[in-house]
Amino acid sequence: MSATVPKGRLLDVENVEAGYELLQVLWDVSLHVDEGEFVALLGPNGAGKTTTLRTIAGFLKPLDGGISFRGRAIAGAPAHAVSRMGIGYVSESLNLFPAMSVGENLQVGANAVRDKAQIASTLELVFQLFPRLLERRDQLAGTLSGGERKMLAIGRGLMGSPSLLLVDEPSLGLAPMATVATFEALKALRARGVTILLVEQNVNTTLRLVDRAYVLEQGRIVLEGTGEQLLRNPHVQSAYLGI
Amino acid sequence: MTTATTNLRPAPFLRRYLTFTWLTLAIAAAIMVFEAFANPSLVVNTLVTGGMWALMAAGLAMVFGVMNIPNFAHGELFLLGSFTAFTVFSPIQEALFEDPSLTWLKVVGPIPGMVASLVIGAIAGVLLEVVLFRPLRRRSREQWVMNTFLLTAGVSVVAINSYRLVVGNDYHGVPGYWTLPPVDVFGVPISVDRLMVLMIAIVTIGLFALFLQRTRLGRAIRAVSQDETGAQMAGIDLNRVFVLTMGISCALAALAGASLLFLFPAYPDVGLQPLYTAWFVVILAGLGNVPGAVVGAFIVALLQNLTIFYVGVGWVDVLPTVFIMLILLFKPSGLFGSAVKGVWEQ
Repeated sequence: MSATVPKGRLLDVENVEAGYELLQVLWDVSLHVDEGEFVALLGPNGAGKTTTLRTIAGFLKPLDGGISFRGRAIAGAPAHAVSRMGIGYVSESLNLFPAMSVGENLQVGANAVRDKAQIASTLELVFQLFPRLLERRDQLAGTLSGGERKMLAIGRGLMGSPSLLLVDEPSLGLAPMATVATFEALKALRARGVTILLVEQNVNTTLRLVDRAYVLEQGRIVLEGTGEQLLRNPHVQSAYLGI
Repeated sequence: MTTATTNLRPAPFLRRYLTFTWLTLAIAAAIMVFEAFANPSLVVNTLVTGGMWALMAAGLAMVFGVMNIPNFAHGELFLLGSFTAFTVFSPIQEALFEDPSLTWLKVVGPIPGMVASLVIGAIAGVLLEVVLFRPLRRRSREQWVMNTFLLTAGVSVVAINSYRLVVGNDYHGVPGYWTLPPVDVFGVPISVDRLMVLMIAIVTIGLFALFLQRTRLGRAIRAVSQDETGAQMAGIDLNRVFVLTMGISCALAALAGASLLFLFPAYPDVGLQPLYTAWFVVILAGLGNVPGAVVGAFIVALLQNLTIFYVGVGWVDVLPTVFIMLILLFKPSGLFGSAVKGVWEQ
């Protein structure tokens, strides 16, 4: 497979079918993310966006199809191994460690990194992106507000120095102000060269932010294009933008 | 945002410390201070047995918190430790009988047995995880707590009877580890055995706490107990953490068995009383709470020793249990548990 991989290709999801027990959710999903790209996966509730991310991150074994990261097949690899290969995952439920301090949560995020200087510089980057976390460094994660918890989850995901960050609905349940702050942070990350695959329902804002996007409906990719293309697409306009 | 910040304001001093938990701790501390003047030996016994129950209960609480396994075979690791220490220490003891002038051997003689019990206990724990729990986990996580309860209770029965078959029903004990004259502590003579056992408990618990708080692996263990998915997202291999957790927990139980050999000789069901006590402690402290288990161990030891001293040895399991039930009536989640922690998500 690696022979046919285009240069700069980071993630390749090919014809993946996945689901839970008796319910198949994803049907023949193919998408790719190139180095340095900011890609979004959009779609309504229950379309299979989260399932796609869970499958890439190794929490769900695909029933069929292949996933490769930097040309290496990763479909079916356990989640911790996928994380160690350089795919950071910020889940919808965040999965923080509530009885640990903010600082400790970040330290655990760097569990697989052995280079102390690298940990220190990533920590600095996280605190630069989210000064709020620095203020709350010794506070238990369980006592943070919703927006701060999102920041911490993204920060923890960054601590493993991933080459690809999967982010699941960062705007979910956030006040408008906090949503804006989260998107600003993602923009800043992208400016620093972090490759991001973002799942969102906030279509308008997302399409103005990303390089490219896929639209997922009922477990199938129905549209693909740059942010601008999709903003002008009649289907997107009528179904998601209410124009 | 605003509600969150107001919630973060600490409660006023009185409301924070005039709680049931702090009251219980204050009463326990007051009794300890009082008894330190009235019956110093009671305090020494409380500290010695409390330290060992802490080793047992900390491991039990950790395995429950991290792996969600109520380990009812924990007492058999106590037995394994005491028999290992007996086997290793016996020839050393004989050498000492033949030549009592070997002062250096008197001092370091008991240590090999304890180290051996630590190692054997760790190996047994790793085997339990790899041979029993891992295949079960791979098969199904449904009814996990109930299944592992039945599994470990079965392991306990099999282990006790295998021991009976191989070693027999005899008591294998030692009159004492350190045949040195008692040491004076604030005018109270204390046997070297008890003093050393207390030291072992303090050092081991201290190292264990440092390991959990300050090291990468310790943090990984705590991370898994708080959120398995989050731990995997951070690149932590759950299987490795489970092996490590079982190994440490079982090593601590075996060390407790080895250290208390002079009080509890090795015999088939010697582990049952330590097991029950450790469970009292863990339930009293709050399931899965490791630091709570250490404090709870000393409270239970105090209750036991007060009962032995003032009521009689026959009541040693009755009165502490009644007290624990009373405490649980007021605080059902245990003294230090705000909620039952470490249940599998989903």
